[in-house]
Amino acid sequence: MFTIFRNLLSGNIIHCRLWLVILLLMLPAFATSCGGDQEGRQGGAFRVALLTPGPISDEAWNGSAYAGLLRIRDSLGAQISHIQVRTPADFEENFRQYGAADYSLVIGHGFEFQDAAVRVAAAYPATIFVTTGGETVLPNVAALSFAFDEPSFIAGMAAAALSKTSVIATIGGTELPPVKSSFDAFAEGAQLLRPGIRVITTYLGNWDDMSAGKEQAIALTRRGADVIFQNADAAGLGVFQAAREGKGLLIVGSNANQNNLAPEVTLGSVVINVPHAFLLVAKEVQSGSFKARVIRFGTGDDVVRWEPSPLLAKSASTTDLARIDSVQSLMRQGSFLPPGRVTP
Amino acid sequence: MTIPIDGFLEAVVRGATPLAFAALGELVAERSGVINLGLEGAIVCGALASLVATVAFGPSAGLLAGGSAGLCIGLIFAFFVLVLRAQQIIVGAAVSILGLGLSATVHRALTGGGASAIHVATLPELRIPFLADIPIIGPALFSQSLPTYILYALFPLVAYALYRTIGGVVLRAAGEHPPAVIAAGHSPAKVQFMALCVCGFLAGVGGATLVVAQTGTFSDGMSAGRGFIAVAVVALGRWRPVGVLLGVLLFGSASALQFLAQSLGWNVPYNIVLAAPYVLTLLAMAALRGSGSAPAALGRALNRSASLV
Repeated sequence: MFTIFRNLLSGNIIHCRLWLVILLLMLPAFATSCGGDQEGRQGGAFRVALLTPGPISDEAWNGSAYAGLLRIRDSLGAQISHIQVRTPADFEENFRQYGAADYSLVIGHGFEFQDAAVRVAAAYPATIFVTTGGETVLPNVAALSFAFDEPSFIAGMAAAALSKTSVIATIGGTELPPVKSSFDAFAEGAQLLRPGIRVITTYLGNWDDMSAGKEQAIALTRRGADVIFQNADAAGLGVFQAAREGKGLLIVGSNANQNNLAPEVTLGSVVINVPHAFLLVAKEVQSGSFKARVIRFGTGDDVVRWEPSPLLAKSASTTDLARIDSVQSLMRQGSFLPPGRVTP
Repeated sequence: MTIPIDGFLEAVVRGATPLAFAALGELVAERSGVINLGLEGAIVCGALASLVATVAFGPSAGLLAGGSAGLCIGLIFAFFVLVLRAQQIIVGAAVSILGLGLSATVHRALTGGGASAIHVATLPELRIPFLADIPIIGPALFSQSLPTYILYALFPLVAYALYRTIGGVVLRAAGEHPPAVIAAGHSPAKVQFMALCVCGFLAGVGGATLVVAQTGTFSDGMSAGRGFIAVAVVALGRWRPVGVLLGVLLFGSASALQFLAQSLGWNVPYNIVLAAPYVLTLLAMAALRGSGSAPAALGRALNRSASLV
């Protein structure tokens, strides 16, 4: 066996190509198949799959999605499968894989999954594809839309209330439309409470490089920023690290409740209750009552919310806290929208 | 508005540190005639191993464990390249992908499904008295964490070993003209094997630096392309230690500049700033074309008589 292997590999260009095919196809397949934990393959069962664009250990966007998938398993007895995907080509390929396996519900966790969902939907009419974020609707494609800008606006007010330097900042992974609108609302909220406050917006260009997240945070503190709103998934953990080591830097977390990651430096989190939203959709799909649509969640139904940490109540002035509360209750009634809202 | 230059230079050195370990390793490998594109895999596995060892035994053990994990990845690469004599570029790419997948899988298993990350305290900055008080460059060079100081010793050490020892001569000969090494009674494959061990170890320490000196935790793919940048740095540095040093500082500057530019609120699209390091590399490669050259036998598989078995 060993001799065959060795002869096969001894320099001939044709054999080299074979080598390339074997290695390059085998290894990533190994990597991803280990990542996906598929349970069960028999027909008839209610099966739900989740595609995340990043690692579920980020304690943020992807972690909360995985928690949602587990909630679907535990509450509805669904068989679940999760896979982490890297490139847009993977999005489509994995959608197809689950469609072909007759999964009832496949969730692409992000705005960026819309195009892939549209391309595969017609081929697998029995499978319902849902994207977290987006506005795309087909007979078997739906989107979850979160009014993430509302709690982001409140977070901006809270950040402004605690800033001593009147310079605050945001760090994003990449400039996805939901991230940008959230940052814009954050800046608007800060301006409402403290007109003239400086808000610096930055992006890392990726969602993985924690070291870059930390360095960007340090660079911002050097420019005087003392509160940073991070929305960079795994890379955002580096932002928290900078605050843990730094002097007087405060962080606003996002997507999941990150208040316990570094309680001494976190003034709150802009939370999406992803498990709640996932469970709602999965229940509809399981009972057969599902209708394709954009399913909107706002501050009113508490699926997106501003989650203050004890630090905020302790450090902010009562006047500021009262103003934050009043805007928040107006938002709950639906009579206050962050300025510049594009989508209804 | 004044631009505080000290913060910038500190960020340059911090950004260059993990890269410098990997690039020094790659320099040793390439001078022996092997291009190791598997660095990315060694870095990311080193990062994970260092996290685990730091939890158990503390940060120094973390650095060692990172190096050991990198060494293991280096051994996989060496087995395919030196024993099976497979194409170096292809094996390197595959080993990088393997390392990324393997570390992600093991990390997920360790964190029980990957629901929450493991955190460790990072190494403190060690201020060297007096030297750290030098204006401008003092804090950047002499108020850093332990791995940076290790590098201050490692650069001269590698340069000395390459140019002033018999072993270094044999290693460079293996990269230039393997038959001469055989004629002198040495085995080029054995030399390359040792070079790959050093390379893997150093890349692993580079990955460990990301964890124990910078972020205190692990995330899938946190190497973020540094392995491939290190390979570019070695070519940029014309396969010389001093060149590699300048190369990692150039990349450190480019990434620090990107953080600085955005935090100053410069009104340029962030993607352009992010692309700066890569544009700089292309420009530098074009400008340096022809000055100095790659080891003559770089990337070539040894013939049967010269291989390990």
